Parts: sequence; structure tokens; C-alpha cells
Amino acid sequence: MCKTLWGARVTKQEIVGRKPLKVLEKIRENLERLNEKMEIMIELQKRDKKDVQLLPDAPLDVMTLLSMPDHLRKTAMTVCRLGRATAEEVAQQTRRARAVESGYLNQLVIMGHLKKERKGRKAYFYVEKEDQG
Amino acid sequence: MIILGKIMAVHSYKGGTGKTLVSINLAATFARDGKKICLMDLDFRAPSLATFFGFAKVECWLNDYLNGTCKIDKVLVDLSDRINGEGRLFVGLANPSTEAIRDMSAKDRKWEMRALGRLLALRNSLLDDGGFDYLIFDTSPGLQYSSINAVVSADLVIVATTFDKSDVEGTKRMLRELYDLFEKKTDIVVNKVLHDVSSKSGKTDLQNKIKEMYQVPVISIIPCFCDVARAEGTFIFAQEKPEHPFAKIVNEIADKIENNSV
Repeated sequence: MCKTLWGARVTKQEIVGRKPLKVLEKIRENLERLNEKMEIMIELQKRDKKDVQLLPDAPLDVMTLLSMPDHLRKTAMTVCRLGRATAEEVAQQTRRARAVESGYLNQLVIMGHLKKERKGRKAYFYVEKEDQG
Repeated sequence: MIILGKIMAVHSYKGGTGKTLVSINLAATFARDGKKICLMDLDFRAPSLATFFGFAKVECWLNDYLNGTCKIDKVLVDLSDRINGEGRLFVGLANPSTEAIRDMSAKDRKWEMRALGRLLALRNSLLDDGGFDYLIFDTSPGLQYSSINAVVSADLVIVATTFDKSDVEGTKRMLRELYDLFEKKTDIVVNKVLHDVSSKSGKTDLQNKIKEMYQVPVISIIPCFCDVARAEGTFIFAQEKPEHPFAKIVNEIADKIENNSV
């Protein structure tokens, strides 16, 4: 048994043996969660905020979209179109790396433009939960 | 993702450029050619389709759909019996009452955000589930919320413009600061043209000049037709006078869109 940098205990057999794919996926998932937390911390630092809850909701209307930097607008537009999406799904549409999209999506969450919900291993991003009729 | 249909927004910088005229005739042309079309009046500041098609009251207006108080199928009015051909024509009408216009102009950002969501949802409800071939949005001129929502929801923006100097400059700004930012496919229709475009070379020269001016494809050049002005918005040229040069130009626009050659 060995301990990884992120604290998960995995056996040597798991690393080189029967389940390397699952182990790698677990590592990736943990790295992504770590990355998300880093993104949030960086964004909060930039905004001189201590808690993500302190940021108010900001409507993602077309004027807000127009005033956004190009890279965030592309991500926000994609979520608007898809309604609800994971970073992977957004990345498929924008043809950018999933990790990049994950960063932008979390930035939009912190800015109050998107909401985020975890369901099992997946994180979903959406504009608002209200029924669109 | 398979795209089953297409959404077009007909927009302009200034009013009076012929957006509604182009929208109605384009919708009628597609319907006459066997397509299932939905024409929507998204000009909530100056609605015109209700008057054009002669409706003082309908079950639900587009205003109600965007307010979230009714489903889209309650809004659509079937006008297929007014079209010669195999296709279907439906319209979604904006409420032309002064009270409704005032109400729509007082909406806040959060409402506009939800309205955008509802317009985006039409792709699923009408194109994918409803089997419509095209949705055509007739919009307000300039940078109105409802127009930008329509532009954002569209696959193709048809920009109606004239040679008026302020219109040209405003259209150039919108190309740079609106359509480009939303990465929209944009085509120009220049209307009320007084230049001689009767010869092929004259038309090509003018087309190149316009393309150079705006740096986007020119879908059509429409000469200034006195007949169109004289009709006073009382009938659909594509329907009533299919041999008229204006109807033929709209036919060419429809063909270009259909063949994806714009």
C-alpha cells in the first residue's frame, strides 16, 4: 500500500496490475477537483473575497455576455445553448481542452453567472434552475 | 449533433430597411416551396405582423410565451391556407397594444435572461420536435435586448441595410461589435438600391463594393421598387406577384439559404 500526493491509498497491484485505468481515472478526478478548488481560490483572491457564498447572482443576459472577455463568452454561450452541461460537454462544443473549460466554468460560477451542481462524479453547470417554459 | 432546421434572425441597425418585408416574403417563399416555416415577430417595440396578417386578438402572443405564461404551441397561428403550395406557414405574433409595448420595454435583465432561454428552447421544441424547417425572427432595429436575444439564438443573421451613410456606419459597427462577438454567420441584404444593377457586370461590381465595405457575404441587392412602396404592406409579393422582380430576388435568397451557399 502506498499513499499518493493527494492522500488516496492505492495498492501497487492497483497501479500496475488489473485496474490501472480505474486508478488513473480516480487520479484524474481528484486532480480535477483540486484544480477546481484552486480556480475558486484564485478567483476569490482576485476579487478580495473570502467565501464563494458572498458573491451575488449576476444575470447572464446578452448585455453581460457582450461585456465579457471572448474566452468566457464562448463558454457562457455554450452553456446557454446546452442548458446544462459538464466541462467535458462544453469542451466538445468549443473544441478547447476540458481542463481549460473547467477553469472558465468555475470562474463563471464565482462571478455569479452560472450555477454548479455535483451529481456523483460529474459536475453540471447551468444558467439557472428555473423552468424555461 | 444533427441540426434538423435553421433559425434566421433578420436584423438591421436602423428602422425602415425592409426587415419585415424580407422576413414575410422569405417565409412565404419557403412555405410555397414545401417547407414548414415559423415566422416570429420579435419587434416588441413596433409589432407589425399582427396588423399585416389581420389579427386583433389571438389565443396567446409571443409576449406571453416569453413571460412564461403559455407554451409555444398556443402562440403559433397556422396560416398555411393563405399559401399556394404544399408547405406550412405558422406565425408567432407580438402584441401590438400600447400597454404590451410599454410592458415589454420595462423588462429587467433577469427577465431578458429568461427570455433568451425561452428563445433558445425553440430549437428543441420547434426545429427538432415540431419538424419545422426554418424559424425566421423579424427583429427590432439596433441594439435592443429582444433583438440581441434573437441574434444570439439564430444560426444565421440576415442584416438588412441601405446606402444611407449612418446606416452603413452603424451596420459596420454592429458587424464588429455584435455579430462577430457572438461568432454569428452573417449575410447582408442591401435594400432600396438606386444604382443600375440591370446588367450582370453592374450587379457584380456593386456586390464586390458592398462585400469590400462590410467584409461579409452579400446575399442580395434589392433595387428600390416603387411597386413595393405602392403596395403599402397589404399583400405578400412572393405569394400574389411571384413574377415580380422583387419576388424573384427573394426566391434567389431562399435558394441560397437552402443550398447553404451564403
